[in-house]
Amino acid sequence: MSKKSVAFILNLHLPYVRHLEYPRFLEEDWLYESISESYLPMLRMLYKLREEKVPYSLTISISPTIMCMLTDEALQNRFNSYLELNRELGEKEIVRCAAEQPEFLEMAQFYLDQLKQNLTDFNDLYRGNILEGFKSLEASGHLELITTAATHAFLPLYQEYPTAINAQVELAIQAFLTTFGHVPKGFWLPECGYYPGLEETLKSHGITWFQVASQSMLLSPDKVRYGDYRPIRCPNGVAAFPRDYQATSLVWSNTSGYPCDRNYREFYRDIGYDLPMEYIGEYIHEPEVRVFTGFKYWAITGNTDQKHPYDRSAAQKKIVEHAHNFLFNLKRKGDVLSASMGKDPLYTLGFDAELFGHWWFEGVDWLEQVLVLSGREEEEVTLVTPSSFMAKEGETFQVARPAFSSWGAGGYSSVWLDGSNAWTYRHIHKAIERMEELAVRFSDQISLKQRFLNQAAREVLLAMASDWPFILYNKTSSEYAQKRLTDHLRNFNVVYGNMCKNAVNTEWLVKAEKRDILFPDIDYNIFNPER
Amino acid sequence: MILINIDSLSTTELQYIAQQEGLENWQTLDREKLIDELEEAYGEQDDDISSSATKNKANRKRFCNALTDFRGNMQNVQGLPGVEDLPDVYAETAIHLLLRDPVWAYAYWSLSPGTKIQVFGEDGQLGGSLFLRVSSTSFLTNEEKTFDIAVGVDDTQWNVNLPEMGHSYRVALCYKNKKGLEMSLAESTEVSTYPSYWTDHYNEMAMDPNLFNIHFSSLVTKEGEIVDNAVLQEIAQTLSGGVL
Repeated sequence: MSKKSVAFILNLHLPYVRHLEYPRFLEEDWLYESISESYLPMLRMLYKLREEKVPYSLTISISPTIMCMLTDEALQNRFNSYLELNRELGEKEIVRCAAEQPEFLEMAQFYLDQLKQNLTDFNDLYRGNILEGFKSLEASGHLELITTAATHAFLPLYQEYPTAINAQVELAIQAFLTTFGHVPKGFWLPECGYYPGLEETLKSHGITWFQVASQSMLLSPDKVRYGDYRPIRCPNGVAAFPRDYQATSLVWSNTSGYPCDRNYREFYRDIGYDLPMEYIGEYIHEPEVRVFTGFKYWAITGNTDQKHPYDRSAAQKKIVEHAHNFLFNLKRKGDVLSASMGKDPLYTLGFDAELFGHWWFEGVDWLEQVLVLSGREEEEVTLVTPSSFMAKEGETFQVARPAFSSWGAGGYSSVWLDGSNAWTYRHIHKAIERMEELAVRFSDQISLKQRFLNQAAREVLLAMASDWPFILYNKTSSEYAQKRLTDHLRNFNVVYGNMCKNAVNTEWLVKAEKRDILFPDIDYNIFNPER
Repeated sequence: MILINIDSLSTTELQYIAQQEGLENWQTLDREKLIDELEEAYGEQDDDISSSATKNKANRKRFCNALTDFRGNMQNVQGLPGVEDLPDVYAETAIHLLLRDPVWAYAYWSLSPGTKIQVFGEDGQLGGSLFLRVSSTSFLTNEEKTFDIAVGVDDTQWNVNLPEMGHSYRVALCYKNKKGLEMSLAESTEVSTYPSYWTDHYNEMAMDPNLFNIHFSSLVTKEGEIVDNAVLQEIAQTLSGGVL
């Protein structure tokens, strides 16, 4: 019997958003929704399986920006306020649903229970820092933790600036080391963005593997023998794990994936939009800006506005069915592949972690089912981490070159370099050049100038985040993204302009340090190309 | 600003969004009309360049916790003291080339005031024109080729077509005076495009169904939708005789 290996890699990433100058800030909710709906439920599930002695292996990439935000005391406090506010809404919903919409009462109670459990877990179990949960699961051998570029920059568009590429990798590894106490073996390429030669920077920092987009093997200039079903080694020895687009699409596709099932919960129907302003007003954003609250009672039903009420038991049945179907597909495909290849396949599946629980409400439950089923001895599918797979079979990997690629539309750079966002690179590249110039001209400064230059380095890195061009491309929160991007660049120019006059703008510095406090140990000399 | 899965939204939600968008008569429009009007409003926001990129319909919109980008002005997030607006271009003569995909690259450039005066004269009295000279070198034969793209004095960016894979490309910003004398003002670094092994070895795969299965079974969804990638789709079409 052939054994099929599956490497699940979940990427936890959000852009750095922290606006303490406002009592509540809409885009900060990205973090709170992710913790509340994805990270905490996922940790609960993983802890539960560990207690039940279900064997499983997952790989989780935690981006440095998420690390910074999850360990930020001010954001931790604000997350508590978010949970408290939603718990209050949950209590109101119980009363309202009991009186007016009893068909929604079960889900209202579910949401309220989840919020209460989140409050308990967040404060009592993790003492505000949920990274401790991931650390514990890594220590028990259930997770391989890795990281990604410092601010999740789409690296192919910075290949002209090796110093900046190195800064993104080196700072990320420093942040990971500080948080988790060791250097990661793997590196999640933001947006699966790969260009030939990137592996050299990764290797210089001790990275032994990274993931790439599915088409990277077929587009390789070399004859890759096993397509996406076996990792390859780049000529410098670092391994590349190609993503299986077909298996990923069973889950990921929002046109045909499992999350589209009519029984699952509809994401886009939310009481934040459906209920009268006088009821919902204090739970949305000022001034009367309707947003998602997380209280959603409808099933997807179909391509219609006449939705059916969500039936949790029907959805639970579907979850089991979909988990079996997922494994069945892998097994069936694996049998054919094993015969064709003369080797057992490895499926590498990479997802944004926020898909599970936040976007796909039932996603965490589905993942639990997959872990439980694949943990059974008779099961032909085994979960592995890339590092464990390398330890076992690394010597057999073919040496070949991955191709320039990403997981975005078109498969290359066009999402991050189109009409909506191409203008940004003129300014970001110039900021990088100027940062390099400052690092050379004013190397090894101390005191205020050092702080000034360190803040400049933070601003450049924040401007490089892939999130801003992605949002501009998708036009979801364009004005915020544009404002953030230009603010970081304008902030950088304050330092550049002042340093050229041998001055330090202390008012700016103090305020900037309060606003963007990520990478506390950053050393701007990292941008010195002569270093 | 964007609407997601517009058909799934309730009429109340559509009306709310239409109101935010400033559509006239939003209260009296029926559901179908609301959808049409909103789709039209958003369609108009897509610019020419972005429309050339194939949008992936299966692309989930990350970071979305509201159905509209509600901020009506850019002042909602306060700037820090001492910051100034970004310039449109920088006072330097330089050109950069970014690889968008194996067929297109994006070039942006700037001309310093000094260079402008040097080539066009104080008041532009010397005339002449600017053009981009794209140079390519074949990895296989080392053969070099060039072609020119005329650009205007006020242009600062261009999408450059890369005719062949397996080449390195660079682009120079050049000036030509009235007498036809040419001068290179700035040159970009190189970008490289590598051909897929299979582009030149279709037959190997065509003759071996196992090989075809190994390579394509991970790239096609159960519904037969192939990964969104032009090169890969070309290989698939050739090999499958148009089936994929």
